[in-house]
Amino acid sequence: MTTSPAVVIDGLTKRYGSRAAVDALTVDIPYGVTAGFVGPNGAGKTTTMAMLLGLVRPTAGGGEVLGSPISRPERYLGRVGALVEGPGLWPALTATENVAVVARLAGHDPARIPWALDLVGLGERAGDRYGSYSLGMKQRLGIAAALLGDPELLVLDEPTNGLDPVGIIDMRDLIGRLGAGGRTVLVSSHLLGELEQVCDWLIVIDQGRLVYAGDLAGFAATAAPDIVLAPADVGHLLRLADVLSGSGVEAGRDGDRLVVPVPDGHGDPRALAGALNHAAASAGIVLSELHVRRPTLEANYLSLVEGARR
Amino acid sequence: MIATYRAELVRLLRRRVVLVTAVVAVVFAVGGAAIVTAAATTTVHPGEPRAVTIGALSAASGGTDVFRVAASFAGTFLFVVFVGLMAADFSRGTMRTMVLRQPRRVALLAGKLAATLSFAAVTLAATEAMTWLAARALAPGQGIATSAWTSLDGLTGALADYGAALVWITGYAILGMAVGVLLRSVALALAVGIAWAGPVEHIVQNGWAAAPKVFPGLSLEAFVAGGTTEISAARSLATVAVYVITAAVIAAVTFARRDVTA
Repeated sequence: MTTSPAVVIDGLTKRYGSRAAVDALTVDIPYGVTAGFVGPNGAGKTTTMAMLLGLVRPTAGGGEVLGSPISRPERYLGRVGALVEGPGLWPALTATENVAVVARLAGHDPARIPWALDLVGLGERAGDRYGSYSLGMKQRLGIAAALLGDPELLVLDEPTNGLDPVGIIDMRDLIGRLGAGGRTVLVSSHLLGELEQVCDWLIVIDQGRLVYAGDLAGFAATAAPDIVLAPADVGHLLRLADVLSGSGVEAGRDGDRLVVPVPDGHGDPRALAGALNHAAASAGIVLSELHVRRPTLEANYLSLVEGARR
Repeated sequence: MIATYRAELVRLLRRRVVLVTAVVAVVFAVGGAAIVTAAATTTVHPGEPRAVTIGALSAASGGTDVFRVAASFAGTFLFVVFVGLMAADFSRGTMRTMVLRQPRRVALLAGKLAATLSFAAVTLAATEAMTWLAARALAPGQGIATSAWTSLDGLTGALADYGAALVWITGYAILGMAVGVLLRSVALALAVGIAWAGPVEHIVQNGWAAAPKVFPGLSLEAFVAGGTTEISAARSLATVAVYVITAAVIAAVTFARRDVTA
């Protein structure tokens, strides 16, 4: 494994008329990570991937993939497997024939075809026509085709699109397995929840601009937690709010509970929770509930995107 | 280019494709031979530039002339097939799959064309042979002598006719490829292809006798028919060459530079 990034994106821009689909995007993706590429529909994820793969020419900026400039995709595409905007295979051909076409185009060993089909769970349907496959099977066949050359970098654009819940879980498991063993995976989705279990690196974009890039733990840490308090006697709720206000924090009501946002830069939220518990006890209020509530990654993602738009 | 060529052959040499092609070839050979031999006249009348005479068909190359004349009526069909094949790769997203594996786009286009033409060349040879056999069986009934068809001159004529048909099919393949690359939509490309090669050129021809000297489809038809009363084979070949080279350059430059977004 090398220490240089697998993907370098430097000021990458793609304009269609006056609209910027990707706007001066700059981000690195380290080797060996499974990177989630998240953003709302139309955020520029597919366009970015298409530029990295040589399908679309940037209006400005550039980048590198596996050490070669994106202006020379022939230098690195042999080491990249990709599924962008759907599998793009031939409906009249069987799974084996489809993958054989791809193998010959890319100069990959056709002997790996059964291995690739087995890996995605299509070994027993290898002789069926692609056109007869379900959406999930088509996606998996596209991934099998992408895996033929045992790529160093795997680029998957919305591989769970259109799948049912079981299909999404299967796909997630597959992506998790593909990311194991040092391969770099870049997988996009408009739903962070689909990716958070398999990704250890995250890139969030919105309206073509970078919102966040870094590891998943760092992303979670960007969200401010809340402290949730509930008095044992609901009749003490308003008095508890007054006590908290007297302690210098503002609480919002959430049913029979009070919620205190932890201020930025406060440090350990558990220390604040302890202080609030002490204040309540000093006022003779017994708490039946007291805990630190961290926002879900999805909520954090939505908050970041909304923040970036303001 | 070689990788693309081999990949295309995987698609083209499937049993179903071969079977359908064989059926079409047999129908074309038998039907074409029947129509051309039945339509042969003793003299060519004005206004029938592509009519053939019994005398011409009784010559050494008469057997394969039947094939050439029949082929000249199949140009629109062939053009539409090539347009559809190329445009479908864009509409289905398979062109994206190919470009991802073969980023040298001009080589990709050349490999696709070479594979298609290889398949067409074999099909053409088989169809010519079948047409010859069918015509030989049908010719006596139309007063066409076939004794010279099996002479050495007959063989030479057959090779010349095969070469002409190969040029004809190459012309349609490149023109079809260019239309497919430029329009990228099966529906749009077929609409334009059918309209142009079918009604448009032939309607213009009805009102303007010199049209075969100008239009690519009519020139190709005239060339494969061995020339007509209005345009020689050599002149039609020159016209075709200009169109085909221009179309190939436009297709290659466009394909190499344009984003693959579908």
